[in-house]
Amino acid sequence: MTDDILIEAEHLSRAFGGLVAVDDVSFRVRKGEIVGLIGPNGAGKTTVFNMVAGSIQPSSGTIRFGDQDVTAMPAHLRARLGIARTFQITSVFPALTTLENVRAATYRTHSQGWWGALMHSSAWRREETSVHRAAQDALAFCELEDHGGIKAGALSYGEQRRLEVAIALAASPELLLLDEPAAGLNPEEGRKLVGMIQRVRDRGVTVLLVEHHMRVVMGVCDRIIVLDHGALIAEGAPDVVANDADVIRVYFGREKAHA
Amino acid sequence: MTGVRAGWIGAIALAVGFPQLTGNSYVHHVLVLWLIFALLALSLNMVIGYIGELSFGHAAFFGLGAYASALLTMQTGAPVLLGLVFAGVVAGLFGAGIGYVSLRIVGPQFAILTLGFGSIIYTVTNYWVDLTRGPMGINNIPPISLPGVGTITEARGFYYVVLTCLAAFAYSCHALMQSRTGRAFLAARENAPLATSIGVDVFRSKLLGFAIATAVAGVAGGLYGHYLRVITPELMSLQYMAALIIMVVVGGRGTIAGPIIGALIYVVLLEVLRSFGPLRLVVFAALLTLSVIFLPNGLVSLLPSRAVRGADAKPKSAMEDAVS
Repeated sequence: MTDDILIEAEHLSRAFGGLVAVDDVSFRVRKGEIVGLIGPNGAGKTTVFNMVAGSIQPSSGTIRFGDQDVTAMPAHLRARLGIARTFQITSVFPALTTLENVRAATYRTHSQGWWGALMHSSAWRREETSVHRAAQDALAFCELEDHGGIKAGALSYGEQRRLEVAIALAASPELLLLDEPAAGLNPEEGRKLVGMIQRVRDRGVTVLLVEHHMRVVMGVCDRIIVLDHGALIAEGAPDVVANDADVIRVYFGREKAHA
Repeated sequence: MTGVRAGWIGAIALAVGFPQLTGNSYVHHVLVLWLIFALLALSLNMVIGYIGELSFGHAAFFGLGAYASALLTMQTGAPVLLGLVFAGVVAGLFGAGIGYVSLRIVGPQFAILTLGFGSIIYTVTNYWVDLTRGPMGINNIPPISLPGVGTITEARGFYYVVLTCLAAFAYSCHALMQSRTGRAFLAARENAPLATSIGVDVFRSKLLGFAIATAVAGVAGGLYGHYLRVITPELMSLQYMAALIIMVVVGGRGTIAGPIIGALIYVVLLEVLRSFGPLRLVVFAALLTLSVIFLPNGLVSLLPSRAVRGADAKPKSAMEDAVS
Protein backbone atom coordinates (compact mmCIF):
# COMPACT_ATOMS: atom_id res chain seq x y z
CA MET A 1 0.00 0.00 0.00
CA THR A 2 2.93 2.33 0.65
CA ASP A 3 4.28 1.68 -2.82
CA ASP A 4 3.07 4.90 -4.32
CA ILE A 5 3.88 7.08 -1.31
CA LEU A 6 6.97 9.16 -2.04
CA ILE A 7 7.13 11.39 1.04
CA GLU A 8 5.70 10.43 4.38
CA ALA A 9 6.08 12.94 7.20
CA GLU A 10 4.92 11.80 10.61
CA HIS A 11 4.42 13.97 13.70
CA LEU A 12 6.91 16.59 12.55
CA SER A 13 7.68 19.27 15.09
CA ARG A 14 10.26 21.97 15.17
CA ALA A 15 10.93 24.58 17.81
CA PHE A 16 13.24 27.56 17.50
CA GLY A 17 14.13 28.40 21.08
CA GLY A 18 10.76 28.82 22.78
CA LEU A 19 8.84 29.31 19.52
CA VAL A 20 7.14 26.22 18.17
CA ALA A 21 7.18 26.83 14.41
CA VAL A 22 5.76 23.44 13.44
CA ASP A 23 3.66 21.35 15.80
CA ASP A 24 2.89 17.69 15.10
CA VAL A 25 2.33 17.86 11.36
CA SER A 26 1.80 14.61 9.41
CA PHE A 27 1.20 14.34 5.68
CA ARG A 28 1.94 12.19 2.65
CA VAL A 29 2.79 12.97 -0.92
CA ARG A 30 2.07 10.32 -3.55
CA LYS A 31 4.20 9.74 -6.62
CA GLY A 32 3.25 12.00 -9.51
CA GLU A 33 1.25 14.42 -7.38
CA ILE A 34 1.55 18.19 -7.30
CA VAL A 35 0.98 19.21 -3.69
CA GLY A 36 0.81 22.79 -2.42
CA LEU A 37 1.78 23.85 1.07
CA ILE A 38 -0.02 27.07 1.99
CA GLY A 39 -0.84 29.17 5.01
CA PRO A 40 -0.57 32.72 6.32
CA ASN A 41 2.80 34.26 7.15
CA GLY A 42 4.45 32.48 10.04
CA ALA A 43 2.32 29.34 9.58
CA GLY A 44 5.43 27.16 9.38
CA LYS A 45 5.30 26.20 5.70
CA THR A 46 8.89 27.12 4.97
CA THR A 47 10.03 25.22 8.06
CA VAL A 48 8.19 22.09 6.89
CA PHE A 49 9.65 22.59 3.42
CA ASN A 50 13.19 22.90 4.77
CA MET A 51 12.75 19.81 6.94
CA VAL A 52 11.80 17.80 3.85
CA ALA A 53 14.78 19.25 1.93
CA GLY A 54 17.09 18.53 4.85
CA SER A 55 18.35 22.04 5.55
CA ILE A 56 16.54 22.03 8.94
CA GLN A 57 16.41 19.04 11.27
CA PRO A 58 13.07 18.35 12.96
CA SER A 59 12.94 18.50 16.77
CA SER A 60 10.83 15.36 16.65
CA GLY A 61 8.98 13.22 14.12
CA THR A 62 10.18 11.26 11.10
CA ILE A 63 10.41 11.81 7.36
CA ARG A 64 10.47 8.91 4.93
CA PHE A 65 11.42 9.20 1.28
CA GLY A 66 10.27 6.12 -0.62
CA ASP A 67 11.14 3.26 1.70
CA GLN A 68 14.02 5.07 3.40
CA ASP A 69 14.02 6.99 6.67
CA VAL A 70 15.78 10.26 5.81
CA THR A 71 15.06 12.12 9.06
CA ALA A 72 18.70 12.36 10.11
CA MET A 73 20.16 12.48 6.60
CA PRO A 74 22.10 15.63 5.64
CA ALA A 75 20.78 17.69 2.73
CA HIS A 76 23.40 16.71 0.15
CA LEU A 77 22.69 12.99 0.65
CA ARG A 78 18.96 13.58 0.26
CA ALA A 79 19.76 15.41 -2.96
CA ARG A 80 21.66 12.34 -4.14
CA LEU A 81 18.58 10.22 -3.45
CA GLY A 82 16.64 12.44 -5.85
CA ILE A 83 15.20 15.35 -3.86
CA ALA A 84 15.83 18.61 -5.73
CA ARG A 85 14.83 22.05 -4.51
CA THR A 86 14.68 25.70 -5.40
CA PHE A 87 15.10 28.60 -2.98
CA GLN A 88 12.83 31.42 -1.86
CA ILE A 89 15.50 33.98 -2.75
CA THR A 90 16.75 33.38 -6.30
CA SER A 91 19.75 31.10 -6.11
CA VAL A 92 22.02 30.35 -9.07
CA PHE A 93 25.78 30.05 -9.64
CA PRO A 94 26.20 33.68 -10.75
CA ALA A 95 29.73 33.68 -12.22
CA LEU A 96 29.17 30.49 -14.25
CA THR A 97 27.40 30.54 -17.59
CA THR A 98 23.85 29.31 -17.82
CA LEU A 99 25.07 26.10 -19.45
CA GLU A 100 27.74 25.57 -16.78
CA ASN A 101 25.04 26.04 -14.14
CA VAL A 102 23.01 23.12 -15.41
CA ARG A 103 26.10 21.04 -16.20
CA ALA A 104 27.14 21.30 -12.55
CA ALA A 105 23.67 20.13 -11.55
CA THR A 106 24.16 16.75 -13.28
CA TYR A 107 26.43 15.82 -10.36
CA ARG A 108 24.03 13.27 -8.87
CA THR A 109 23.64 11.10 -11.94
CA HIS A 110 27.28 11.01 -13.04
CA SER A 111 30.39 9.58 -11.47
CA GLN A 112 33.48 10.33 -13.55
CA GLY A 113 36.02 12.34 -11.59
CA TRP A 114 39.41 13.82 -12.25
CA TRP A 115 41.19 10.62 -13.26
CA GLY A 116 38.79 9.81 -16.10
CA ALA A 117 39.14 13.34 -17.46
CA LEU A 118 42.93 13.17 -17.18
CA MET A 119 43.06 9.88 -19.08
CA HIS A 120 40.31 10.87 -21.54
CA SER A 121 38.81 7.46 -20.74
CA SER A 122 35.92 6.21 -22.79
CA ALA A 123 33.69 6.19 -19.69
CA TRP A 124 34.50 9.85 -19.17
CA ARG A 125 33.76 10.72 -22.81
CA ARG A 126 30.43 8.88 -22.62
CA GLU A 127 29.54 10.75 -19.46
CA GLU A 128 30.48 14.13 -20.90
CA THR A 129 28.11 13.45 -23.79
CA SER A 130 25.37 12.51 -21.37
CA VAL A 131 26.09 15.56 -19.15
CA HIS A 132 25.83 17.77 -22.19
CA ARG A 133 22.59 16.18 -23.33
CA ALA A 134 20.99 16.43 -19.89
CA ALA A 135 22.09 20.06 -19.60
CA GLN A 136 20.75 21.02 -23.05
CA ASP A 137 17.53 19.21 -22.31
CA ALA A 138 17.02 21.05 -19.01
CA LEU A 139 17.76 24.40 -20.66
CA ALA A 140 15.39 23.70 -23.53
CA PHE A 141 12.67 22.67 -21.08
CA CYS A 142 12.96 26.02 -19.31
CA GLU A 143 13.28 27.95 -22.61
CA LEU A 144 16.81 29.06 -21.84
CA GLU A 145 18.62 27.27 -24.67
CA ASP A 146 19.53 30.58 -26.34
CA HIS A 147 21.17 31.85 -23.16
CA GLY A 148 23.63 29.01 -22.61
CA GLY A 149 26.72 31.19 -22.99
CA ILE A 150 25.56 34.03 -20.77
CA LYS A 151 26.71 34.33 -17.16
CA ALA A 152 23.83 33.45 -14.86
CA GLY A 153 24.34 36.68 -12.93
CA ALA A 154 23.55 38.66 -16.10
CA LEU A 155 20.17 37.00 -16.72
CA SER A 156 16.95 38.85 -15.97
CA TYR A 157 15.03 38.00 -12.81
CA GLY A 158 12.48 35.87 -14.62
CA GLU A 159 15.23 34.02 -16.49
CA GLN A 160 17.11 33.36 -13.26
CA ARG A 161 13.96 31.86 -11.73
CA ARG A 162 13.61 29.57 -14.74
CA LEU A 163 17.30 28.69 -14.50
CA GLU A 164 16.70 27.58 -10.92
CA VAL A 165 14.12 25.12 -12.16
CA ALA A 166 16.49 24.01 -14.93
CA ILE A 167 19.21 23.36 -12.33
CA ALA A 168 16.81 21.31 -10.23
CA LEU A 169 15.64 19.34 -13.28
CA ALA A 170 19.16 18.68 -14.56
CA ALA A 171 19.65 16.63 -11.40
CA SER A 172 16.80 14.40 -12.74
CA PRO A 173 15.01 14.30 -9.40
CA GLU A 174 12.11 12.15 -8.26
CA LEU A 175 10.82 14.91 -6.02
CA LEU A 176 11.01 18.62 -6.83
CA LEU A 177 10.57 21.08 -3.96
CA LEU A 178 9.64 24.60 -5.08
CA ASP A 179 9.94 27.40 -2.52
CA GLU A 180 7.61 30.23 -3.59
CA PRO A 181 8.32 29.83 -7.31
CA ALA A 182 5.90 32.60 -8.29
CA ALA A 183 7.37 35.24 -5.98
CA GLY A 184 7.99 38.43 -7.91
CA LEU A 185 6.66 37.11 -11.23
CA ASN A 186 4.15 39.10 -13.26
CA PRO A 187 0.80 37.44 -14.20
CA GLU A 188 2.11 36.37 -17.61
CA GLU A 189 5.22 34.78 -16.08
CA GLY A 190 2.99 33.21 -13.43
CA ARG A 191 0.88 31.51 -16.10
CA LYS A 192 4.04 30.26 -17.79
CA LEU A 193 5.18 28.87 -14.46
CA VAL A 194 1.94 26.92 -13.98
CA GLY A 195 2.41 25.34 -17.41
CA MET A 196 6.00 24.51 -16.61
CA ILE A 197 5.16 22.83 -13.28
CA GLN A 198 2.54 20.70 -15.04
CA ARG A 199 5.05 19.65 -17.68
CA VAL A 200 7.53 18.77 -14.91
CA ARG A 201 4.94 16.43 -13.46
CA ASP A 202 4.27 14.95 -16.89
CA ARG A 203 7.90 13.83 -16.87
CA GLY A 204 7.12 11.74 -13.80
CA VAL A 205 8.48 14.17 -11.22
CA THR A 206 6.51 14.67 -8.01
CA VAL A 207 6.18 18.31 -6.95
CA LEU A 208 5.77 19.84 -3.49
CA LEU A 209 5.52 23.61 -3.47
CA VAL A 210 5.19 26.41 -0.97
CA GLU A 211 3.36 29.37 -2.43
CA HIS A 212 1.58 32.59 -1.52
CA HIS A 213 0.24 33.24 -4.97
CA MET A 214 -3.29 31.79 -4.78
CA ARG A 215 -3.90 31.72 -8.52
CA VAL A 216 -0.82 29.58 -9.01
CA VAL A 217 -1.65 27.25 -6.12
CA MET A 218 -5.27 26.74 -7.14
CA GLY A 219 -4.36 26.40 -10.79
CA VAL A 220 -1.68 23.78 -10.54
CA CYS A 221 -2.07 21.68 -7.38
CA ASP A 222 -3.84 18.33 -7.15
CA ARG A 223 -3.96 18.61 -3.41
CA ILE A 224 -3.36 21.39 -0.91
CA ILE A 225 -2.12 21.23 2.66
CA VAL A 226 -3.01 24.24 4.82
CA LEU A 227 -0.94 25.18 7.86
CA ASP A 228 -1.74 27.76 10.51
CA HIS A 229 0.36 28.55 13.56
CA GLY A 230 2.45 25.45 12.91
CA ALA A 231 -0.48 23.04 12.80
CA LEU A 232 -2.13 21.32 9.85
CA ILE A 233 -5.71 22.61 9.65
CA ALA A 234 -6.95 21.31 6.31
CA GLU A 235 -5.94 19.03 3.48
CA GLY A 236 -7.60 18.16 0.18
CA ALA A 237 -8.36 19.12 -3.41
CA PRO A 238 -8.19 22.89 -4.19
CA ASP A 239 -11.98 23.39 -4.34
CA VAL A 240 -12.50 21.45 -1.10
CA VAL A 241 -9.84 23.44 0.73
CA ALA A 242 -11.11 26.73 -0.70
CA ASN A 243 -14.54 26.04 0.84
CA ASP A 244 -13.27 24.75 4.16
CA ALA A 245 -14.63 26.89 7.01
CA ASP A 246 -11.35 26.86 8.97
CA VAL A 247 -9.33 27.81 5.95
CA ILE A 248 -11.68 30.67 5.06
CA ARG A 249 -11.45 31.90 8.63
CA VAL A 250 -7.63 31.85 9.02
CA TYR A 251 -6.56 32.41 5.48
CA PHE A 252 -9.02 33.76 2.99
CA GLY A 253 -10.87 35.66 5.67
CA ARG A 254 -7.74 37.47 6.59
CA GLU A 255 -6.89 38.08 2.98
CA LYS A 256 -10.35 39.51 2.29
CA ALA A 257 -10.07 41.77 5.30
CA HIS A 258 -6.91 43.19 3.82
CA ALA A 259 -8.31 43.66 0.34
CA MET B 1 38.69 26.78 -28.51
CA THR B 2 41.23 25.89 -31.20
CA GLY B 3 42.75 29.34 -30.74
CA VAL B 4 43.23 28.60 -27.06
CA ARG B 5 44.80 25.25 -27.87
CA ALA B 6 47.16 26.80 -30.42
CA GLY B 7 48.10 29.42 -27.83
CA TRP B 8 49.00 26.72 -25.32
CA ILE B 9 51.02 24.72 -27.83
CA GLY B 10 52.92 27.88 -28.76
CA ALA B 11 53.54 28.73 -25.12
CA ILE B 12 54.87 25.22 -24.38
CA ALA B 13 57.15 25.29 -27.43
CA LEU B 14 58.46 28.66 -26.30
CA ALA B 15 58.97 27.43 -22.74
CA VAL B 16 60.89 24.40 -23.96
CA GLY B 17 63.01 26.27 -26.51
CA PHE B 18 63.70 29.56 -24.81
CA PRO B 19 66.49 28.50 -22.38
CA GLN B 20 68.41 27.10 -25.35
CA LEU B 21 68.61 30.55 -26.94
CA THR B 22 70.86 31.95 -24.27
CA GLY B 23 73.83 30.65 -22.34
CA ASN B 24 73.33 33.27 -19.65
CA SER B 25 72.92 31.33 -16.42
CA TYR B 26 71.42 34.37 -14.68
CA VAL B 27 68.52 34.26 -17.13
CA HIS B 28 68.18 30.53 -16.48
CA HIS B 29 68.12 31.18 -12.75
CA VAL B 30 65.32 33.72 -13.09
CA LEU B 31 63.39 31.30 -15.29
CA VAL B 32 63.67 28.52 -12.70
CA LEU B 33 62.41 30.84 -9.97
CA TRP B 34 59.54 31.81 -12.25
CA LEU B 35 58.48 28.20 -12.80
CA ILE B 36 58.72 27.31 -9.11
CA PHE B 37 56.58 30.32 -8.19
CA ALA B 38 54.25 29.51 -11.07
CA LEU B 39 53.73 26.01 -9.66
CA LEU B 40 53.13 27.50 -6.23
CA ALA B 41 50.75 30.18 -7.54
CA LEU B 42 48.86 27.59 -9.56
CA SER B 43 48.37 25.53 -6.41
CA LEU B 44 47.11 28.60 -4.53
CA ASN B 45 44.80 29.20 -7.48
CA MET B 46 43.05 25.96 -6.60
CA VAL B 47 42.15 27.55 -3.26
CA ILE B 48 41.38 31.09 -4.44
CA GLY B 49 40.08 30.34 -7.91
CA TYR B 50 38.41 26.93 -7.65
CA ILE B 51 37.07 26.47 -4.13
CA GLY B 52 36.79 30.23 -3.61
CA GLU B 53 38.54 30.65 -0.29
CA LEU B 54 41.37 33.01 0.55
CA SER B 55 44.44 31.49 2.21
CA PHE B 56 47.15 33.57 3.84
CA GLY B 57 48.95 30.42 4.93
CA HIS B 58 50.04 29.03 1.60
CA ALA B 59 53.70 30.01 1.94
CA ALA B 60 53.84 27.96 5.15
CA PHE B 61 53.05 24.78 3.18
CA PHE B 62 55.71 25.76 0.64
CA GLY B 63 58.19 26.04 3.52
CA LEU B 64 56.96 22.80 5.10
CA GLY B 65 57.68 20.96 1.87
CA ALA B 66 61.11 22.56 1.55
CA TYR B 67 62.06 21.51 5.08
CA ALA B 68 60.49 18.05 4.86
CA SER B 69 62.39 17.14 1.72
CA ALA B 70 65.67 18.72 2.85
CA LEU B 71 65.59 17.01 6.24
CA LEU B 72 64.60 13.61 4.87
CA THR B 73 67.25 13.55 2.18
CA MET B 74 69.98 14.90 4.45
CA GLN B 75 69.29 12.78 7.50
CA THR B 76 68.48 9.46 5.84
CA GLY B 77 70.27 9.84 2.53
CA ALA B 78 67.02 9.12 0.69
CA PRO B 79 66.96 10.05 -3.02
CA VAL B 80 65.72 13.55 -3.78
CA LEU B 81 62.78 12.28 -5.84
CA LEU B 82 61.53 10.46 -2.75
CA GLY B 83 62.13 13.65 -0.78
CA LEU B 84 59.86 15.56 -3.17
CA VAL B 85 57.09 13.00 -2.74
CA PHE B 86 57.59 13.20 1.02
CA ALA B 87 57.37 17.03 0.79
CA GLY B 88 53.99 16.73 -0.93
CA VAL B 89 52.71 14.17 1.57
CA VAL B 90 53.79 16.16 4.64
CA ALA B 91 52.42 19.46 3.35
CA GLY B 92 49.24 17.75 2.14
CA LEU B 93 48.67 16.07 5.50
CA PHE B 94 49.13 19.36 7.32
CA GLY B 95 46.79 20.96 4.78
CA ALA B 96 44.17 18.24 5.26
CA GLY B 97 44.38 18.55 9.05
CA ILE B 98 44.23 22.34 9.07
CA GLY B 99 41.50 22.33 6.44
CA TYR B 100 39.48 19.78 8.41
CA VAL B 101 39.50 22.12 11.41
CA SER B 102 39.20 25.44 9.56
CA LEU B 103 36.85 24.79 6.65
CA ARG B 104 33.89 24.44 9.03
CA ILE B 105 33.78 28.19 8.64
CA VAL B 106 34.36 29.89 5.31
CA GLY B 107 35.02 33.36 3.98
CA PRO B 108 37.04 35.96 5.89
CA GLN B 109 37.15 33.85 9.06
CA PHE B 110 38.79 31.00 7.16
CA ALA B 111 41.36 33.41 5.72
CA ILE B 112 42.20 34.62 9.24
CA LEU B 113 42.53 31.02 10.48
CA THR B 114 44.98 30.19 7.68
CA LEU B 115 46.98 33.27 8.66
CA GLY B 116 47.07 31.95 12.24
CA PHE B 117 48.11 28.42 11.27
CA GLY B 118 50.68 29.80 8.82
CA SER B 119 52.20 31.92 11.56
CA ILE B 120 52.32 28.94 13.92
CA ILE B 121 54.18 26.84 11.36
CA TYR B 122 56.57 29.72 10.69
CA THR B 123 57.22 30.31 14.39
CA VAL B 124 57.77 26.64 15.17
CA THR B 125 60.21 26.34 12.26
CA ASN B 126 62.03 29.41 13.50
CA TYR B 127 62.38 28.21 17.10
CA TRP B 128 62.73 24.42 16.81
CA VAL B 129 66.46 24.87 16.45
CA ASP B 130 67.34 21.21 17.10
CA LEU B 131 65.46 20.11 14.00
CA THR B 132 65.49 23.10 11.68
CA ARG B 133 68.57 25.01 12.86
CA GLY B 134 66.23 27.96 13.37
CA PRO B 135 66.93 31.27 11.64
CA MET B 136 70.31 29.93 10.49
CA GLY B 137 68.44 27.83 7.99
CA ILE B 138 69.66 24.64 6.36
CA ASN B 139 72.41 24.63 3.79
CA ASN B 140 74.19 22.00 1.72
CA ILE B 141 70.89 20.47 0.68
CA PRO B 142 71.63 17.77 -1.92
CA PRO B 143 70.88 18.69 -5.55
CA ILE B 144 68.33 16.69 -7.48
CA SER B 145 69.55 13.68 -9.43
CA LEU B 146 67.44 11.80 -11.91
CA PRO B 147 67.92 8.19 -12.92
CA GLY B 148 69.57 8.10 -16.34
CA VAL B 149 70.39 11.82 -16.28
CA GLY B 150 72.56 12.12 -13.23
CA THR B 151 72.91 15.01 -10.82
CA ILE B 152 71.49 18.28 -12.04
CA THR B 153 73.57 21.19 -10.86
CA GLU B 154 73.01 23.87 -13.44
CA ALA B 155 69.90 25.99 -13.71
CA ARG B 156 69.10 25.02 -17.27
CA GLY B 157 68.71 21.36 -16.38
CA PHE B 158 66.66 22.18 -13.34
CA TYR B 159 64.44 24.39 -15.45
CA TYR B 160 63.21 21.33 -17.39
CA VAL B 161 62.55 19.39 -14.18
CA VAL B 162 60.32 22.16 -12.87
CA LEU B 163 58.74 22.70 -16.27
CA THR B 164 57.71 19.04 -16.32
CA CYS B 165 56.13 19.35 -12.87
CA LEU B 166 54.35 22.56 -13.82
CA ALA B 167 53.03 21.15 -17.09
CA ALA B 168 51.77 18.02 -15.33
CA PHE B 169 49.97 20.03 -12.67
CA ALA B 170 48.57 22.54 -15.16
CA TYR B 171 47.15 19.70 -17.25
CA SER B 172 45.76 18.07 -14.11
CA CYS B 173 43.97 21.32 -13.26
CA HIS B 174 42.59 21.45 -16.78
CA ALA B 175 41.34 17.86 -16.53
CA LEU B 176 39.88 18.51 -13.09
CA MET B 177 37.76 21.32 -14.47
CA GLN B 178 36.44 18.97 -17.16
CA SER B 179 35.22 16.52 -14.54
CA ARG B 180 32.38 16.20 -12.12
CA THR B 181 34.76 16.89 -9.23
CA GLY B 182 35.84 20.21 -10.73
CA ARG B 183 32.25 21.24 -11.40
CA ALA B 184 31.48 20.46 -7.76
CA PHE B 185 34.36 22.74 -6.69
CA LEU B 186 32.93 25.62 -8.72
CA ALA B 187 29.42 24.95 -7.45
CA ALA B 188 30.71 25.01 -3.85
CA ARG B 189 32.57 28.25 -4.57
CA GLU B 190 29.63 29.99 -6.19
CA ASN B 191 26.75 29.05 -3.93
CA ALA B 192 27.09 26.58 -1.06
CA PRO B 193 23.36 26.02 -0.34
CA LEU B 194 22.59 25.46 -4.01
CA ALA B 195 25.61 23.15 -4.38
CA THR B 196 24.30 21.13 -1.43
CA SER B 197 20.90 20.92 -3.10
CA ILE B 198 22.38 19.21 -6.17
CA GLY B 199 24.18 16.64 -4.03
CA VAL B 200 27.61 18.20 -3.52
CA ASP B 201 29.21 17.74 -0.10
CA VAL B 202 30.53 21.30 0.13
CA PHE B 203 32.81 20.68 3.10
CA ARG B 204 34.45 17.61 1.54
CA SER B 205 34.87 19.35 -1.82
CA LYS B 206 36.61 22.31 -0.23
CA LEU B 207 38.73 20.03 1.95
CA LEU B 208 39.82 18.01 -1.08
CA GLY B 209 40.74 21.14 -3.01
CA PHE B 210 42.66 22.56 -0.06
CA ALA B 211 44.56 19.33 0.59
CA ILE B 212 45.62 18.99 -3.07
CA ALA B 213 46.66 22.64 -3.18
CA THR B 214 48.80 22.33 -0.05
CA ALA B 215 50.39 19.08 -1.25
CA VAL B 216 51.43 20.71 -4.53
CA ALA B 217 52.74 23.74 -2.62
CA GLY B 218 54.86 21.27 -0.63
CA VAL B 219 56.33 19.77 -3.80
CA ALA B 220 57.11 23.28 -5.06
CA GLY B 221 58.88 23.95 -1.75
CA GLY B 222 60.89 20.75 -2.09
CA LEU B 223 61.97 21.77 -5.59
CA TYR B 224 62.95 25.19 -4.31
CA GLY B 225 65.12 23.73 -1.52
CA HIS B 226 66.94 21.30 -3.79
CA TYR B 227 67.49 24.04 -6.32
CA LEU B 228 68.87 26.82 -4.10
CA ARG B 229 70.34 24.22 -1.72
CA VAL B 230 69.77 26.57 1.20
CA ILE B 231 66.51 27.36 2.98
CA THR B 232 65.55 29.58 5.90
CA PRO B 233 62.25 30.08 7.74
CA GLU B 234 61.87 33.36 5.83
CA LEU B 235 60.30 31.25 3.07
CA MET B 236 57.17 31.15 5.18
CA SER B 237 57.08 34.82 6.09
CA LEU B 238 54.15 37.09 5.43
CA GLN B 239 56.01 38.72 2.57
CA TYR B 240 55.83 35.52 0.52
CA MET B 241 52.20 34.91 1.40
CA ALA B 242 51.31 38.37 0.09
CA ALA B 243 53.43 37.86 -3.02
CA LEU B 244 51.59 34.65 -3.84
CA ILE B 245 48.20 36.27 -3.60
CA ILE B 246 49.43 39.07 -5.86
CA MET B 247 50.58 36.52 -8.47
CA VAL B 248 47.20 34.78 -8.53
CA VAL B 249 45.02 37.90 -8.47
CA VAL B 250 47.08 40.02 -10.87
CA GLY B 251 47.45 37.10 -13.27
CA GLY B 252 43.85 35.98 -13.14
CA ARG B 253 42.27 33.69 -10.57
CA GLY B 254 40.37 30.63 -11.62
CA THR B 255 42.39 30.28 -14.81
CA ILE B 256 45.48 28.21 -15.58
CA ALA B 257 47.43 30.80 -17.58
CA GLY B 258 46.75 33.58 -15.06
CA PRO B 259 48.86 32.43 -12.08
CA ILE B 260 51.70 31.41 -14.43
CA ILE B 261 51.73 34.88 -15.98
CA GLY B 262 51.37 36.46 -12.54
CA ALA B 263 54.43 34.55 -11.32
CA LEU B 264 56.42 35.73 -14.35
CA ILE B 265 55.54 39.35 -13.69
CA TYR B 266 56.40 38.98 -10.03
CA VAL B 267 59.78 37.36 -10.61
CA VAL B 268 60.78 39.76 -13.40
CA LEU B 269 59.72 42.82 -11.40
CA LEU B 270 61.57 41.50 -8.40
CA GLU B 271 64.77 41.39 -10.45
CA VAL B 272 64.20 44.66 -12.30
CA LEU B 273 63.41 46.57 -9.11
CA ARG B 274 66.16 44.97 -7.05
CA SER B 275 67.93 48.31 -6.53
CA PHE B 276 64.80 49.77 -4.93
CA GLY B 277 65.11 47.51 -1.90
CA PRO B 278 62.04 47.30 0.33
CA LEU B 279 60.33 49.95 -1.82
CA ARG B 280 59.56 47.11 -4.23
CA LEU B 281 56.76 46.13 -1.90
CA VAL B 282 55.08 49.47 -2.54
CA VAL B 283 55.20 48.76 -6.27
CA PHE B 284 53.64 45.33 -5.72
CA ALA B 285 50.93 46.78 -3.52
CA ALA B 286 50.15 49.37 -6.18
CA LEU B 287 50.05 46.63 -8.80
CA LEU B 288 47.58 44.62 -6.74
CA THR B 289 45.38 47.65 -6.13
CA LEU B 290 45.34 48.69 -9.79
CA SER B 291 44.65 45.15 -10.87
CA VAL B 292 41.70 44.73 -8.52
CA ILE B 293 40.20 48.03 -9.65
CA PHE B 294 40.81 47.90 -13.41
CA LEU B 295 41.27 44.20 -14.16
CA PRO B 296 39.27 42.25 -11.58
CA ASN B 297 39.67 39.11 -13.69
CA GLY B 298 43.43 39.60 -13.99
CA LEU B 299 45.77 40.04 -16.88
CA VAL B 300 44.43 36.96 -18.66
CA SER B 301 41.24 38.88 -19.34
CA LEU B 302 43.32 40.95 -21.79
CA LEU B 303 44.07 37.86 -23.86
CA PRO B 304 41.90 37.26 -26.95
CA SER B 305 38.61 36.36 -25.34
CA ARG B 306 36.79 33.11 -25.63
CA ALA B 307 33.23 33.25 -26.88
CA VAL B 308 31.98 32.95 -23.32
CA ARG B 309 33.77 35.97 -22.02
CA GLY B 310 32.29 38.37 -24.55
CA ALA B 311 28.79 37.58 -23.33
CA ASP B 312 29.71 38.56 -19.80
CA ALA B 313 29.73 42.30 -20.20
CA LYS B 314 27.23 42.42 -23.03
CA PRO B 315 24.25 44.58 -22.09
CA LYS B 316 21.02 42.69 -22.27
CA SER B 317 19.04 43.58 -25.34
CA ALA B 318 15.41 44.56 -25.29
CA MET B 319 14.63 41.40 -27.22
CA GLU B 320 15.92 39.15 -24.49
CA ASP B 321 13.70 40.95 -22.02
CA ALA B 322 10.72 40.46 -24.26
CA VAL B 323 11.41 36.73 -24.50
CA SER B 324 11.60 36.26 -20.73
